[in-house]
Amino acid sequence: MTKAIIKTEKLCKTFSSAGIQQHVLKNLDICLLEEDFTIIMGSSGSGKSTLLYAMSGMDKPTLGTIDFAGENLAKLNNDQLAVFRRNHCGFVFQQIYLLDNMSVLDNVLASGLLVNKNKREVEEKAKELLNQVGIGENAWSKFPTQLSGGEAQRVGIVRALINSPKLLFADEPTGALNSAASTSVLDVFTDVNRNGQSIVMVTHDMKTALRGNRILYLRDGVICGDLQLGTYSEKDNVERHKKLKNFLAEMGW
Amino acid sequence: MSSAIKSSKISLQKWGGKVKIINLAMANIRKSKSATFSLFIFILVAALLLNIGLMVITQINTFFESKAEQLKDPHAIIMMDYANYHSSYGEFITKYPGVTESETEEMIRMNMAKFNFGNSELSTNVIIFNADTKRSIGPLNLIEKLNTYSSHDIFVPYSFKTNGGYQLGDHFTITYQDKEYEYRIGGFFETTMMGTNNMGVMKFMLPEPSYLKLADELSTQSEGLVISAILDDQTQSSTLKNNFFKEFHQSIEVNANIWGLDIEQVKSVTTLTINLLATILVAFAIIIVLVSLIVIKFRVANSIEDGVENIGVLKAIGYTSRQILSSMILQFIFIALCGSVIGIALSYVLMSFFGSIISTLSGLIWTQTFGLMANLISIFFVTLAVLIVTLLSAFRVKKILPVAALRGGIQTHNFRKNRVPLEKARGGLHFLLAIKSTLANAKQNMMILFIIIALTFASVFSAVSYYNIASDKTAFVDLFGVEPANVYVIIKPDVDIRELLSHIEQMEYVRKVNLLDKIQTKIDGQIVYTNVTNHYDRLENNIVYEGRQPKYENEISISWVVSNQINKGIGDTVEVEFENETASFLVTGISQLIHHSGQVAALTLEGIQQLQTNYKGFTLNVYLDGISNKDFIKNVQEQYGDYLVGTVDIDENIESETSMYTDAVFAVLLTVLAITVLVVVMILYLVIKTMIIKRKKEFGVMKAIGYSTMQLMHQIAISFLPVIITGVTIGGALGYFFTNPVLAVLLSSAGVKRLDFTIHLPTVLLLCIGILLLGYLVSMLVSLKIKKITVHSLMTE
Repeated sequence: MTKAIIKTEKLCKTFSSAGIQQHVLKNLDICLLEEDFTIIMGSSGSGKSTLLYAMSGMDKPTLGTIDFAGENLAKLNNDQLAVFRRNHCGFVFQQIYLLDNMSVLDNVLASGLLVNKNKREVEEKAKELLNQVGIGENAWSKFPTQLSGGEAQRVGIVRALINSPKLLFADEPTGALNSAASTSVLDVFTDVNRNGQSIVMVTHDMKTALRGNRILYLRDGVICGDLQLGTYSEKDNVERHKKLKNFLAEMGW
Repeated sequence: MSSAIKSSKISLQKWGGKVKIINLAMANIRKSKSATFSLFIFILVAALLLNIGLMVITQINTFFESKAEQLKDPHAIIMMDYANYHSSYGEFITKYPGVTESETEEMIRMNMAKFNFGNSELSTNVIIFNADTKRSIGPLNLIEKLNTYSSHDIFVPYSFKTNGGYQLGDHFTITYQDKEYEYRIGGFFETTMMGTNNMGVMKFMLPEPSYLKLADELSTQSEGLVISAILDDQTQSSTLKNNFFKEFHQSIEVNANIWGLDIEQVKSVTTLTINLLATILVAFAIIIVLVSLIVIKFRVANSIEDGVENIGVLKAIGYTSRQILSSMILQFIFIALCGSVIGIALSYVLMSFFGSIISTLSGLIWTQTFGLMANLISIFFVTLAVLIVTLLSAFRVKKILPVAALRGGIQTHNFRKNRVPLEKARGGLHFLLAIKSTLANAKQNMMILFIIIALTFASVFSAVSYYNIASDKTAFVDLFGVEPANVYVIIKPDVDIRELLSHIEQMEYVRKVNLLDKIQTKIDGQIVYTNVTNHYDRLENNIVYEGRQPKYENEISISWVVSNQINKGIGDTVEVEFENETASFLVTGISQLIHHSGQVAALTLEGIQQLQTNYKGFTLNVYLDGISNKDFIKNVQEQYGDYLVGTVDIDENIESETSMYTDAVFAVLLTVLAITVLVVVMILYLVIKTMIIKRKKEFGVMKAIGYSTMQLMHQIAISFLPVIITGVTIGGALGYFFTNPVLAVLLSSAGVKRLDFTIHLPTVLLLCIGILLLGYLVSMLVSLKIKKITVHSLMTE
């Protein structure tokens, strides 16, 4: 039986500004399983990204618990969270956020060497992963500004995977890419998931969502739909698409 | 009519343009409040110090001159023993062209009297006047006095309060010829002549009964006369004095006790240290102005690079390059004007503090006046410098085309080379990332480098000055030409000095004994204080800076002052007169010293014996090791008291004479160090804050991938270390090698030709390490700001 990787209980997040409180997440009880490719969908302002950042320890919840790899993230301080993130989480951002004063290889190493001090091991792994996502040796010494969007995002994925995270978080990773680049990036996600990597991804794109095996739908800070879509396969894509479309229609998307 | 409408339209357009420029400038200021504030503080501090320095430099001479006028002090005085007086002296002075008033008055002269001054005992010549004598020149002007009268009252110069540690009513003892005279401080008076202990003579006043009583008690040898003169042009006072001695040099016996002081000479000695301190303040102000200019250059370059798209938009909607340029200039001119005007206003508040230093050094009450010229120079200098640098830095705005600016602007980083690649470079991850950051911000780091160099140099310069003037005074005292022995003993004329020298040399704790007399001779007609010893190489203060001290009986060294007066140098022959005998000597060296107005020469014992065959000498300089001067004096008095005229504790004398400099130099040192700390803190604050804002996303990403706040803080702090280390190393080295030459230049007007202040390498290193640690600590504290920002907000804000 598949184990839970994250469990939240009564997870709340409230933002306050000028005396006005905005309850973005409301008493969320979520359980994400190992090796799942979970997709979080919802309309704008529904709290998708807030939920992702709270579960990943990038932001602190206002109330509730987040049980991740045996740790309650809500109780960790900022530095403990940083250590937790480097050991257990990988992140892929919509804006990619590669460090633009570093080469491709250095971007990956800057993350990998944080956990593993053995430079040779990290370097070998980085090169292997870069090759796996289609970033050849000739691009390793390039700077992020010299890469295409798709290439840069694939480097971003490698950076996220370099420390073998328990869970890979992705916040609309294809949001800033064109169609061809999106497909190449999504293929990478699919591949790594097939190899056992747990992923949780926020998206509002149906094509992207089809890659997941579970869809959570968020509305006004509450989970109002949970669809089991099964493991991704190109063969039953039409079937999956129909199922997802019906689900989203049901959710009022 | 139509032309009037047209011209009003044009003026409205012009006004509209000006408003736009002002709006842009104000928007820029609002956008960078903390950077504006830092720059404002720098300019404020620079203008403040500059104005204080300039006001002192421009006002000190006038202050001294107007004090002399206000107190009706003499411009020139000739003092002599009663026995040496001749009526023609008074006539000469009275009839001298330009003398408006002259007066001859009796006084009591004490040659080397002792009294406590500050924390030590001072041995100096003392002149005592009758306080109740009606005089028109230099009347008694008590600024503080006791309400009650005592027959033991004495009136002393104001420096006894500011520097000597005395209060009204305090007990005051003068020791003269082994006898103590007890008095009570009845009042303090202001005087420009003989009011401080830096002219080798001080004046006191006694009420008539006490004066007459003292005159009765002392021998007739202590009776003297003073001829005072006031000139319509006080700058002629030195000429009057010199002409007096030229006129009577035939009739004045060489060993006659007759000497003179003139107001110009007193003014230059009294204002020497004040001018030096003011010059240091001006120099430091210029350093801070340079720091401000570097900051402005950096800020202008940054604002163009960061705001190139805004510049593009402004140009696209019709702003001219000139308007954009003007807004930048206006922004910095506004800060410069505000900073300098407020700094100048504050300088008047701080002048009361500097005024107290002036009072300590001059013994005169400083009255602050409005220094319009200094104020205008300060504002003009600061504003003009800011204008030029802003204009030069912002000029490239003109070359930016709107399209190019809107399409992503100027390439601000050079990515062609991946400096310090992580896979190849050796070292820890955080260290390597810090070095990457250092190299990526080369321009900004150059700015910090120059600032740290300047500040380290200024700190080393101040610390060295403080160490040598206030702590270990040896090198400072050497400038005065004092031989750094511990005690000197004056021998009775009939004693065999060689035998006594060897006896004293045998005493316990005595390291060395030298014969070193100071006698009066005439060299080519000039009265000169002349040192006499048998071995100049045994002395520890070699005052000759060119050539050498005399070795043989026909050789002499003269000071550069004497050299200028008689127009002779090394290799020339001079006529030396002593005890009615004259002989020729060859000049072998030129010396420097501040004492005796620089009128000093040096002969060998054999040399003086050519003029007086039975000359044996009368002063022994004793160098001690492992015993206090007081204990030694007690021992030598017990064992050889019968052979001695007296003893003088040289260390205490020096301590007493230099104590006035200690507080002043300490105040300047503290100012320099405080400002160094302030500038280092503010520069790093400014740079790191800007850096965090600029690299917010980068830090957010790094936090997201697992870097802790502490790791990022260390990275930021370490990234500044190479530049701070280089800065303190260069600044420290410059301080180590150039403090003496710079000080020599600053003191050259006082007659210093060579300066050899002690510079302790460990102290310089400690100071450099201190600045380095301060830099690291400040970097860590400022970068603590990252802690408060969440990862999410770092990336998304």
